[in-house]
Amino acid sequence: MESTTNLQSAAGQRVRRKSLAAAWSAAGKHKYLYALLLPGIVWYFIFRYLPMYGVIIAFKDYNFSKGIWGSPWVGLKHFEFLFRNQDFFLIVRNTLLINLYELIFAFPVPVILALLLNEMKNVLFKRSIQTVIYFPHFLSWVVFGGIVIQLLSPNEGLVNNVLRYFGMEPVFFMSKSEYFRPIVVISSILKESGWGAIIYLAALSSIDPEQYEAATIDGANRWHKLAYITLPGISNTVVIMMILKVGYLLDVGFEQIYILYNPSVYDVGDVLSTYIYRIGLQSAQFSVTAAIGLFQSVIGFFLIWSTNRLAKKFSEVSLW
Amino acid sequence: MSVKLSANVWIGALLVMFAILTFLPFYYVMLASVSDSNLIREGELMLWPKGFNLKAYGLIFDNAQFLHSFAVTVTRTVLGLAVNLLLQLTIAYALSRTYLPGRKMFMIYIIITMMFNGGIVPTFLIVKGTGLIDTIWALVIPSAISTWNVILLRTFFENVPSSLEESAKMDGANDIAIFIKIFLPLSLPAIMTIGLFVAVHHWNAFMDAVIYTNSADLKVLQLFLRDMVIKMEMAALMGDMSAMSEVSSLSIRTASIFLASLPILAVYPFIQRFFVKGMMVGAVKG
Repeated sequence: MESTTNLQSAAGQRVRRKSLAAAWSAAGKHKYLYALLLPGIVWYFIFRYLPMYGVIIAFKDYNFSKGIWGSPWVGLKHFEFLFRNQDFFLIVRNTLLINLYELIFAFPVPVILALLLNEMKNVLFKRSIQTVIYFPHFLSWVVFGGIVIQLLSPNEGLVNNVLRYFGMEPVFFMSKSEYFRPIVVISSILKESGWGAIIYLAALSSIDPEQYEAATIDGANRWHKLAYITLPGISNTVVIMMILKVGYLLDVGFEQIYILYNPSVYDVGDVLSTYIYRIGLQSAQFSVTAAIGLFQSVIGFFLIWSTNRLAKKFSEVSLW
Repeated sequence: MSVKLSANVWIGALLVMFAILTFLPFYYVMLASVSDSNLIREGELMLWPKGFNLKAYGLIFDNAQFLHSFAVTVTRTVLGLAVNLLLQLTIAYALSRTYLPGRKMFMIYIIITMMFNGGIVPTFLIVKGTGLIDTIWALVIPSAISTWNVILLRTFFENVPSSLEESAKMDGANDIAIFIKIFLPLSLPAIMTIGLFVAVHHWNAFMDAVIYTNSADLKVLQLFLRDMVIKMEMAALMGDMSAMSEVSSLSIRTASIFLASLPILAVYPFIQRFFVKGMMVGAVKG
C-alpha cells in the first residue's frame, strides 16, 4: 500500500517536473512577449495592489515612522469611531442623495438624447448636434465648474442678469444649501449627457435595419417601432449601465464636488470622497479615512453584486 | 405625411435646444472675456460682446505664473502621453496574443483592479513611499495605465489578421520586431484615439496635482485656474473683503478659462473623427 502511494507520488513529481520544464520552455519561447508584459505587471503591482494591501491601516493606528507594517493593530476601533460619529452619517446621506438624484434625473437624459438622435435621418444635422453636445465632456471640471460659478454669480452672472431683467432680486446660488444639489445634478447633465449618449447610440446602431423594414411592411408606425424594436434593442445596455451606476452609489465625482462646494454648503455637499480628502490628507488622519474608504468599497461591491442578481432575475441581463 | 414631418421638427427642435443649453455657458465665457468688466457688472452683457477689447488676454500673457503653469502642463502632457502609451501598448499587445501561456491569469490580474482599489489614502501612502511626491513624475506614473484603455487596445490587436504575424515569424522576426513593425503601424487609428484621450486627460487633470505636489514650480494650469477663478469667486461669495480687493476682473478670469481650454478646442475636431469609432469598438467588444 505504502509502496504504491510512494510510486504514485514519485510519478506525480515526475509529471510535475515535466510540466514545470514545459512551462519554462514555453516561457523561453515567448520570452519577448513576457518582456513586453513585465513593465505593466510591475506597475499594477506597485500602484494598484500595494494600495489594496495598504488598506490594513484601517485596522491599525498608522504612524509614519513605523510604516504600514510596523504600526500597532487596533482592531475595529476606527470603524466604531465612525459609526458613532454624527458627521459620518451626514456625509453618507449627502453622497446617497446626490447619487439618487443623478440616478433619477441625469441617468435617463443620455438615453433620451440617443433615441432622439436616432430618429434624425439628416446626417449633417445629426453630426452637428453630436459635435456640440459631446464638447463639454472634454473640458476639465475646473473649467466647467468655473463657467457654472460665473454664470450663477450674483453680480456678474448671466442667470442673475436675466432675473434682474425681470425685476427679481439676485440670488446667491453657490452659497445657498437648497440650491447645491440641483446645481450638481444640472451641471452633470450639461457636461456629461451628450457623451453618455454614445454608448446607447452604439447599441442602437447594432439593431438590424431589416427589423424596421419588416415592421414597416406590417404597417407599424413610429411609436410601434420605438416600443417593439428600438427600446427592446437597447434595454440590455440600459440595464448594464444602471447596474454600474448603482454600484457607484457611494462614489460621487470627486472633482466636480471639490470645485463646486464651499464651507457654506458643506452640510448638504460634503460627500465621502471630499471628506476623505479633507480629513485624510489635509488633517493627516490616515487610519480613519482608510476605514471610510474600505467601508465605501465594501458597500459598493455589495451593491453591484445585489443589483446584478436582481437584473439577472428579472431581465436575464447581467455583468457576470 | 404631415404628421411625420411635424414629429421630425419637434425632435429636431428638442435636440437643438439641448445643444444650445450645453454650448451657451461656454459662449457666455468667451463673450465675457472680450467685454468690458464694468458693463458686465452693470448687467449689460447678454448675448453679444459689450465694449469689445482684448486687454484681459494681454494681461494674462504678462503673468509669469500663467506662462509657467502652462509650460508645466505641456511638459506633463508630453511625458504622460509617452509613458502611458509605452506601458499600455506593450501590456495590451502581450495580452492580445491568445497563445501566450498565462494570458487569462494576467487578464484577471488587471481586471480585478477595476473592481477593488485601495482608495485615496493608501494610494497616497504608496506613492509617497516610492519617493515620487513633488516631482513631475507623480503626475505621470501613478496614472500611467488605464485598464479600460488596455482592453480597448487589446481588442484592436486581436483583430489584426494572424497570418501577418505567422509570415513575419517565418522570416525570423522576433515578437518585439513584429509588434513594432507590423502591429503598431496597423493600429494607428486606435493608438491615435487612445493617445488623444490620454492627452486630454493629462491636460485636464488636477486632483493628482492637488494631492501629490505642493511646490509652486509644479503648479499645473488647472490649479492656476482654480486659484484664479474658483477661490476668488468663493472668497467674494463668503464676503471676504480682503480677498475681494484682490479679485481680478471678470474678463481676466473668463479669459484664463478660455485660454486653458484653447488646446482642447484646437484638437477637438481631430478627436471627433476618431473617438466615436473607438468608443464603439470598446462598447461592443470590451
